[in-house]
Formats: sequence, structure tokens, C-alpha cells
Amino acid sequence: MRFLAPALLLGIVAAALPYLIHRVGKRRALPVRFAAMQLLLRSERRVHARRKLREILLMLARTAAAASLPFIFARPFSERATDLPVVTLDAQAAVILVDDSASMQRTSGGGTLFGRARARAQALARQFPSDSELAFLVTSAGAPPRIGELEPDRARVIEAIESTRCSARPADFTSAMRQAALILAPSPRAHKRVYLFTDLQATGWEDGAGLPAEGAPEVIIDDVAAGAALENRAIIEAHVEPSAEGGPGSIAVTAEIADFSARGVPALGVTLRVDGVAVAQGTVELSPGGHARKRFLHSLAGDGSSSHDLVVEIDGDAFPLDDRRQMHVEMARTLRVLVVDGDPRTTRNEDEAFFFEAALRNGVPGALVTTKLGDDVPVDGLGAYTVVALLNVGRPAQALAVALERFVETGGGLFLAMGDRVDTSLWNERMAKLLPQPLGLVRTASALPGQHTGETVDERPAERLLPLDRRHPLLAAFPEQGDGLVSARFFKYVLLDPVRDTAVRNVILRYESGAPALVEREVGKGRVMLLTTTVDREWTDLPIRAGFLPLVREAARRLVGASDEDSAATLLVGEPRMLTFSGDLQTLEVTRPDGSVWVGKREQAGATRTLAFAGSEQIGIYRVRGAGADETFARQAAQDFAVNLDPRESDPARLAPEKRPDRIAVRTGGATPPKHRIELWHLLSAALILLLLVESLLALRWRRAAAVEDQVEAKAEAKAEVP
Amino acid sequence: MDLARLSTLAVRARTIVEGALSGVHRNLHPGTSLEFTEHKEYAPGDDVRRIDWKAVARTDRYTIKRFENETEMRMLLVLDTSASMGYRRTSVSKLEYATYLCAALAYLVSQQRDAAGLLAFDHTTRAILPPSTRPGQIREVLAALESLRPSGVANADRAADAVNELCDKRSLVILFSDLLDSEDAPAGPTAKGQLADRVRQLRARGHDVVLFHLLDPDEIELPFDELMFFEGMEPGDERTLLAEAGDLAQAFREESANFRERWRTTCLEARVDYRFARTDTPPAELLHAFLADRAGRP
Repeated sequence: MRFLAPALLLGIVAAALPYLIHRVGKRRALPVRFAAMQLLLRSERRVHARRKLREILLMLARTAAAASLPFIFARPFSERATDLPVVTLDAQAAVILVDDSASMQRTSGGGTLFGRARARAQALARQFPSDSELAFLVTSAGAPPRIGELEPDRARVIEAIESTRCSARPADFTSAMRQAALILAPSPRAHKRVYLFTDLQATGWEDGAGLPAEGAPEVIIDDVAAGAALENRAIIEAHVEPSAEGGPGSIAVTAEIADFSARGVPALGVTLRVDGVAVAQGTVELSPGGHARKRFLHSLAGDGSSSHDLVVEIDGDAFPLDDRRQMHVEMARTLRVLVVDGDPRTTRNEDEAFFFEAALRNGVPGALVTTKLGDDVPVDGLGAYTVVALLNVGRPAQALAVALERFVETGGGLFLAMGDRVDTSLWNERMAKLLPQPLGLVRTASALPGQHTGETVDERPAERLLPLDRRHPLLAAFPEQGDGLVSARFFKYVLLDPVRDTAVRNVILRYESGAPALVEREVGKGRVMLLTTTVDREWTDLPIRAGFLPLVREAARRLVGASDEDSAATLLVGEPRMLTFSGDLQTLEVTRPDGSVWVGKREQAGATRTLAFAGSEQIGIYRVRGAGADETFARQAAQDFAVNLDPRESDPARLAPEKRPDRIAVRTGGATPPKHRIELWHLLSAALILLLLVESLLALRWRRAAAVEDQVEAKAEAKAEVP
Repeated sequence: MDLARLSTLAVRARTIVEGALSGVHRNLHPGTSLEFTEHKEYAPGDDVRRIDWKAVARTDRYTIKRFENETEMRMLLVLDTSASMGYRRTSVSKLEYATYLCAALAYLVSQQRDAAGLLAFDHTTRAILPPSTRPGQIREVLAALESLRPSGVANADRAADAVNELCDKRSLVILFSDLLDSEDAPAGPTAKGQLADRVRQLRARGHDVVLFHLLDPDEIELPFDELMFFEGMEPGDERTLLAEAGDLAQAFREESANFRERWRTTCLEARVDYRFARTDTPPAELLHAFLADRAGRP
């Protein structure tokens, strides 16, 4: 033990004070000549041992208390060898960063890397001199600061570190370092440091160190992986699609598996589980650092359910989070499209169906597309399809109109595209229950030729679309500027007659004139979408624009009830999930994998009827339930979704030394390890307080015992005096 | 001799007696013989049933008959004057208190024309007055009492020998002492020690023995609550004790109670009338209780 102010130890002479006081007290004894010495001496013999013990105890307590004061003022400390950075021994302003990204859940040496990082961060916080100021952040993307300002109370920081749990999010060191630098910037202290506890995975540093060019704090990185080259094998991608090979209800599940090691695996086991049951198994061969793809075919037909949870697993390793990938599939969403070609041409690229089919086949992998002429439509067989598209159909038969009504009301999707063959009057008569708005006149754009400089495709007068309202889920996937869509030119389109109740239809796209371009309407359980121009190049150049394919893809998926992208049913951790209040739903409940529940209300969704769920922090399947005004909840299996690990976290590649932001060596390679100073004065202070408390309690207890005895005796005497 | 002080003691004795006799009209030693010896003028303390009404009718004075047994009553007051009897702090000393009681009893007995004597002792005999009914006896007793000062160490042997010499007939022997250190005497470490043996012997010789055990309130309760340096009072007593009196109080009270209880038991076994007295008790009250008890005895 050593002392910061050893001169103050001279005060140790104060230890003699209790004894001196005791002696002084003796000299002040009151002399009395007493007759009953015999009784007195007997009494003394009785209490002598007890009194002596009490006196010794009290004397010891008081002497120790008096001696401890100069001892405390001398600020004693002990030193212990530490493998934590030696720079922690100075008073400083410091931000402790703990990597809580998913990769830190890797097990190593009986615990996780995160557990080790947290323990070392706590040890670090304890090691700082008491006049230091600390803040505490975690590095996972989007995580709020735990203690976002410099805090002199170390206990609070240690508690915050203790209560932190490892997330499944990817790392974002750049943001965390930037935040740390901002916290430290206003501090007037000479020493400003950032301590980062991480596995030094390269992921999360893509945008740089995040530190300012000037006045950056010192950065000390504590590599909890101890510089080891970590190995990993992961499923970095998996998707499911309908399979034409296995017939109706058959699916193809494809998993991409990667090896992050220098050894590879000759036969890595891969398993497909459907609703918790292993249905297929196989192996893949992984070359060192290589990728392999495994494809499973499985039939879901006949099991009576359209909603399934799929899991692809590989043999486990030290990082289990990426050894499985989960998916949720809704068979009702599978695209089986019947395209009714109302204006067939012999030249393919002049055919109405050509562009539409091409967009579907390329935009929606696994979509089954069947094309028929208007007269060949099997009105009794529409149930085999999930979407029917009428493209420039001139005069739909009454039977077809009735069949379509039934088809849509039972949940089917209907896409309507206009053209010069459309008999608007007949449509308004036979398709009235399906049309979002009655059809009106055909309008020809009035812009002058050559007005749009640089557009050489066609010099006809044309209109464009108004800027996109990306709040609509169908348009959410488009870039902000609407590239590939707003540049499309429209030469002709059908005007729609006004309707009294505008709430029944929703205008998704409008022309510059304000006329609707794409309108939708819900009918029964299904949905109808009306494009007021053609899907070939006759009235518009939209089919040859880049935006056509995603537009058709999103429209088709929305029509089958997959109002969000199918791919969105499988999210990465932290990504938002758009939920739709279809029908009369007023409340949606999302149950997370750990059982906790999130509740969304219809009034929060606004006109688009969609609400973002941002709580996808856990890996697993999220279940959705919905309730109408009567608050009776029912499963909304179509909106269930799976959340998986961001594949970037699977790559254990270490940050290149030249990109490391630290400038101070962390680990001590020398013969003499740095010593951590443990200040003992606060422990001694606590001991002193305890000592004084004990002394007070002892004295109080003895006095109280004597008083009680006096009272008992007085009562006994009073009782004896009563005749 | 200070006549004023003597007069004060006489007055005090009379006051005590008058207070003590309130409601008590029987003497200390009621007679049992039927052999008439003389008439005596009624005095307070005499049994009113003994008034000779015929004589009253003849002489117009209250006269009572005396019988042989009554005329033979002899009372010897034995007073311990050792140094320990001089302890006082708030009330009178034990010796003063005993003096008052002795004076009152002597006065009462002399009023009844009985014989009263006095023996005061410490390590030697300080005063000795054989029981007598002569007219000047009371004055001599009071004077002797007045002259007593606490000193020395009580010697029970000498006192007992003196009592034997003074009382050749059956007598009422009333002993006043604090009995302190009596248990540490060589003859025995307990209440059945030297003094106890002497008292037992007196009783065996046919004397009616009364023991007034006098203690100061301090010797019962030890009411101090500070650091005290206690020293013995009697000559040659080198015992000292430095102690926090408050720490000792409880044990002291128990020891004191045990001490009294041992003496009470010893006296009961020896058929000695044991009377405990605190010096803060009014003497008249104590005497009244004593006389009342004696009056009730056969």
C-alpha cells in the first residue's frame, strides 16, 4: 500500500486521543467516602469482565476511528497489474464505446465477445481516477446513446454498461465515433479519449472513422477478439419462390452459404424446416472463403394452410445467429396471372400483352403467367389465378363481368388497362361494380411537338406524370425523384368521370393535367387497379421506360394482397415493416419473437392506410393480428414477416491496420505491465463510517439496557409499595 | 454538654413518640402477670383498658394498674457507632437516624416508668448506661446519645459481652446497625457470621431482640451516574474503587437487596425481630409501624 500524501500520516498521533481523553476522564472522577464498599466491590466483581470488554471495544473503535482519519487524508492506494490501457490512469474526459453489434454474439472461450467487452468496459470505468468524466455509447446502427454526456458519476456509467445487452443490429462505428467526438468536443480537459471495445470486424467502418480532421480525441481500441482470425460459415441469403417444377403449391427455397475461413468445409450440412419440421437435408461443399448455393424443392400443397414459416439451417459454429435464416411465405400471394389480350398482334412488340408479360416474368421471379384472348377466358376457372389483367379488352362479355365481380369479391386482383378498342359505355354498364371510376372521354395530349427538347423517341404531343407520392406503398420502392416513371410520356389516356364518393377509390398516379393515371379500388376482399392508358406503346412510351417493370411488379403484388414487397416479408434487423390496415381493420398487433407486442392504430396510418413498424430488433418470425371496431382480433398471416441478420455481420474480416483510428497501443507487450491504481480512501471512509456506527450502536445499546433495567426496577418497587 | 442540643434531641424524641403513638396505646412489653404491684399515672402509650376507673373516681386523675411483669421490663438500646454509620449525602446519617430512634424509644419507655439503658460501641464501648427507672436516666441517655460521633470499626464481640453484663434479666435488646462488613468478619463470610452468632446467643439467653437495619438510600440504589472514586470510611479500610457508577448501579441494587434478604432470613431463623429502615423514612413512621407490630404481639 502506498500514499499520495504520506505527510498527513503524522496525524496518526490522533489515535492517542481516545486514550488521552480516557485518562483525562479518570482524573475527573468524583471522590466519595462510601460505607457500603463491601457491596460495591461485589458489584464490581460481577460487572468487571463485561465492562472491561465494553471499554476495550469502545477504546478500540474510537482509536481506530481516530487513526483512520489521517490515514484517509493521506489517500492510500494499492497498485495492481492490469492489461487495460495505461492511459486510463490520468484524469480525463472519456467516451466508452462498446460494440453491441450482432457479430459480438460470437462465442469464444466460454463466453461471448460481447460479454468480454462489457466486463472489460466495466473494469475500465472502475479504473479511471475519480475526477474523470465518462460517457457511454454502443456502436450498433441506430442505437440511442446510453449516457450521451460526460458524467462524473462512475457508478452510473458502470450500471449502464452492466444493463446493456448485445443487439442483432449491424455495426455503425462511423456514427458512434462521430457522436463520441461531439460529446468530447466541448470538454475543457487536456485528455480526451475514446475507448472502443470491439472484435475489430471491418463491417461498420465503411464510411470511415467518423472523427474530425482537427482536435480529434485519442482513440484506444481494445480488441476483445485478441487479434485472432475468426472463422465463420453463414447463410447470407435465402429466398423462396413458387416452383413450376413441382406443380401447384410447390416452392423452391434457395440459400446462399458463405465460408469465411482459410479452410473451407467439404460437406456442410444444410436443412430446410417448414413450420418447424425438417423436410429436406443436404450438404454443400465450401471452398476456403467461397460461396455455395443450395436449392430445395418442396410441395406445400394439400396441407390446408397458405401461411408457412421456413427455416434454412447449416451446421452450427461459434456464431449461431447466421447459421439459420427464416422466411415467411404466404401462398395466396403467389402470382398466377391470367392476361386477357384484347388486341392481339402478330408482331410481338406491338402486342398489348408483350410488355406486360415481360415485366411480370422479369419483375416477379416465379410468377406464373397465362395469356388468353378475350373469348377464350374460362369464366368458371378464374379461381385458379390470383390476378386477372384485362388489356385493351373492347367489350367484355356479361358472363365475364359477372365472373370477374365474384373473383374480385373473393380476394382476386384485377388489373385493367385501356386502349383504342375499349368501349367505354359498355364498360361503364357491365363493369360498373368493378371500375374505380366510370370511364369518360379519351383525351389526346395537347403539348406541341418538340416541346420536350432532347426526346427523340416520339415527337407527338405528350403529358408526363406529376411527382410521385411515395407514401403510397406501391410507389415506395421508387427512387425519390421517380426516375424511370416521371419521364414517361403519355399521348392519350381515358378521362374518368367524377364520382360522388371519392373515398372508394385511391388515385396512385396523376398526369400533369391532374387527370388520374392509375387508380385503385377495393371490392370485397379483392382489389381493382385501373391504368387509364395502354400497356403498349400505342398511347404512351411507358412500357419502354425503366419504371414500367417495377410499376407492373408492385401493382401485381398489391393486387394479390402482398401490398408490400414479398421480399419485405423477410427483413433485415432494424428495417421497418410497412403494415396495411386493409378492410375495416382499426388495430394491428405485432408479436415479436420474444412475445412482446407492438400495437398500431388505424388513425396513425393516415390516408395511405399503411403504418411502419420499426421494432424489428430481434431475429425471428413476427406475427400480425388485426381487429376491427369490435376489437375482435384475427390473424393477419399475410402480413407476418421474418427478420434475419444483416449478412454484413457474418463476415469476420478484420479491420485493416491502416484503417484503424487508434493511435495508442492497447496491450502491453513489454516486460513490465502497467499498474492500475486502486484508491482505498473511499473504502476506508466507508469503514470509518461503519466503525462510528458500531461505536454509537454499542454505546446506545448499553445505555438503553441500563435504562430499561432502571425502569423495570422502578416499576417493581412501585408495585411493591402498593398495599 | 450542650444543653440546647440536648433539649433539641429531647423535643425531637417527644415529637417522634407522639407521632408514633397516634392510634397505638399499648406498651412495648405488655404484662401477663395478675399480681398487682402499684398504681401509675396514665401516660400516652398505656393501654386504656388498664385504667383503674375506681381510682379515677377517687382521685380525679387517670391512673392505671401495674402488674409485676410490667414493672420488670428492661430495654437496652445497643447502638453501632462505627465510622460507616456516619455516611450521609442527602438525608441524615445512619447514626443520627439511630440516635433519634433511640431517644424516642428511651423517652417512651421512661414515660412508662420502665427501665431503659444504652450501649454504644464501635471497636470499643463508647457509652454504657445500664437499664434503670431512676428519674435522671432519660436525661443521661439523651446526653449520651447526643455525644456520640461515628468512628472506628464495629466490634460485635465486645458489644455482646457488654450486653451480657448489663442484662442479667430478660430484657428487650434493640440493636441499631448498618451491618455493613458484618459478613466479611473472620467468624464467617455470610450473614450467619460473627454478628449473627452474637444476636442468636442473645436470643438464646431469653432476651427479646430487635434488629434495626439502617441503610442510607445511596446504599440501596447507588444513584450516581458519573465516574466515581469510592473509598472506604472506616479506619484501616484501604479499599478503593474507580468506576463508572452508572455501570455498577444495577449490580449494586441486586447485591444490596440480597444483603438485606440474607439478614432478614437470618433474623427470622433466630426469631429476632428484623426491621429494615431507610434513613429517608420519617422516624415517626418507622416507630409507629414498630409499635403497632409490637402491640399486636402476644
